[in-house]
Amino acid sequence: MVYDKESEVFSIQTINLTKRFAKKKHRGVFGFLRKNQSKNKHEENTDVTVALDKVNIEIRPGELFGLLGPNGSGKTTMIKCLSTILIPDEGTVIVNGFDVQKETSMVRASLGMVVGGERTLYWKLTARDNLMYFASLYKMQRRYAKKRVEELLETLQLSDRADERLEDYSTGMRQKVAIARALLHDPPILLLDEPTLGLDPNFSRQIRSQIRELSEKHGKTVLLTTHYMDEADQLCDRVAFINNGNIVAVDTPNRLKAMVKEREIVEVAVYRPPADIESQIRSLLPDAEVIKLIPGDEDEGNPSRIKIIGGTAEEHMGTIIDALRQKNIRIGSLNVGVPTLEDVFIKLTGAKLTEGGMQ
Amino acid sequence: MTQSVYEQSSFRSNFFVVWDELVKNMKFLMAYPIIFIFWAIFPIFWFIPFILQGEAFVGGLQSANFAQITGSGEYIPFIVIGAVLNSYVNTLLYGMGENIRREAYQGTLDYVFAAPCNKAYVLIGKALSESVSSTIFAASQLTISALLFGMNLTLGVMLPVFFIVILLILGLYGLSLVLAAFSLMYKQSHDVSETIGYIFYIFSPVRYPIESLPFWAQIIGKLIPLTYALIIVRSIMLLGTSFSAMYWEILALIIIDAVLMLAGFYMFNWMETKTKKSGAISHY
Repeated sequence: MVYDKESEVFSIQTINLTKRFAKKKHRGVFGFLRKNQSKNKHEENTDVTVALDKVNIEIRPGELFGLLGPNGSGKTTMIKCLSTILIPDEGTVIVNGFDVQKETSMVRASLGMVVGGERTLYWKLTARDNLMYFASLYKMQRRYAKKRVEELLETLQLSDRADERLEDYSTGMRQKVAIARALLHDPPILLLDEPTLGLDPNFSRQIRSQIRELSEKHGKTVLLTTHYMDEADQLCDRVAFINNGNIVAVDTPNRLKAMVKEREIVEVAVYRPPADIESQIRSLLPDAEVIKLIPGDEDEGNPSRIKIIGGTAEEHMGTIIDALRQKNIRIGSLNVGVPTLEDVFIKLTGAKLTEGGMQ
Repeated sequence: MTQSVYEQSSFRSNFFVVWDELVKNMKFLMAYPIIFIFWAIFPIFWFIPFILQGEAFVGGLQSANFAQITGSGEYIPFIVIGAVLNSYVNTLLYGMGENIRREAYQGTLDYVFAAPCNKAYVLIGKALSESVSSTIFAASQLTISALLFGMNLTLGVMLPVFFIVILLILGLYGLSLVLAAFSLMYKQSHDVSETIGYIFYIFSPVRYPIESLPFWAQIIGKLIPLTYALIIVRSIMLLGTSFSAMYWEILALIIIDAVLMLAGFYMFNWMETKTKKSGAISHY
């Protein structure tokens, strides 16, 4: 499909969106007694973090758009700026044709969001009570709201337990209620921030299938943030990579993966690797384009992974196995694989990827 | 590109925002059944220290000196009215800031602020729900007072009293908005609430007539809405003064209410914008 950019109307458009956060420096209990050396007292006492740096994104109506990045990359800040919870410092944000700073009420009515998941509901209330309360905040007509609540409870298979307090629900069920809340007023745009985080595989599958259905059958525009690359690959029409508040790339998952398609990829799962393993392997494999250690959580049964992109996989495998054995590093598995979005992200962000960010 | 189900601002939708906020908070309250025991027993216990104090200090429940200052010798009904109206101060000043802090902690505040309704109506609902507990408690205290001390609770007396209580709540609502604004930004309003609560308690005639205070303290007391509410309600209930004879006090109460409400709304909107700029709205 060819898009005429000049005449195109976007569901979401950000132009040079910038958001900074100022954090006060802690100067200790008696810090106020210390003499301030700086002429600018405010600068002396604050650190400024740029959460979003001139971000430009255009999302088309009906598109399922993924925003991918490690923790702290700016995904949630982006969602909060779009949903009017945060006021941008610079730039323009247009949602459903409305400016977030000038037409706040219309933007809010155009959006449904799932941010923060199950924690953002009233656990002492039932699912039905929660939904009726939020229907009221969205100024829905009473009669319509009741009908809509029943409809959503039915669709999300919550009808049987609709009158139980959420404190008796499982995490997955509460997440379903959070999704029902986002859909209450039938908004054209959905902002979903890590909707499957912490869910078991069964509930994750159900939620993913709901998201796909909302986009394909109901024509909703969906902005999905996730750090699960497989989820984005399966669901999204287009994906944007965000790192340190910057958009690194935007394209379809297939086109993004084509960037590393020609390269061979080796992934080795290892236990307790030394901190300098990257540089050690790099010295052994000079032809590899990217070597990246992705820390795992061994207590949870997830070993760390070493990704090697580029070069000849066959040669690399032997060298790595020998090197790891020599250093008594336990190998969990070794795969030569097809490229994933994660590989593209590693290639694009390289050294910029913060440790512990990618999971 | 708006939605058909999105209803533009109207009296009906705003009413339901207030109503559903009230119902939500009442359901939270009812989720902890111990509150019923508190409501049933505590109003009776409340009287015991005052009766025993009276016996010990003045040898009964009447005081000639007290009658000279206030016009009525029975001091317990005087204190009951003070306690009843002061309980609204306590619940509204402490309750609103705490309610906002709790919502921020639960993670629900973001969703309330991301909804298209006017937040003022959400706050009115919160203020009303904070007053319900006080009203139930007050009704119990007044009923016991009527039984023990023959306090007049007829409709002719209670209607104007009810009106004055609403005026008091409006003023306190303005003040509680200021405290809610503090809570929004600093996630802590308890110390400020406590300070204001004590200022009210000392400079208003809650436990003693305003004449007991030095002149300078009486001037401070006359800037506090609770002072006027107490003077009017006691005059109507204990001295049988007609409502119309209290017009200066009623006017003063209305003026203070208007100032506090304007200050409250201004402060809350200002802090809301400030927290959305700083990102503090999602903190707890």
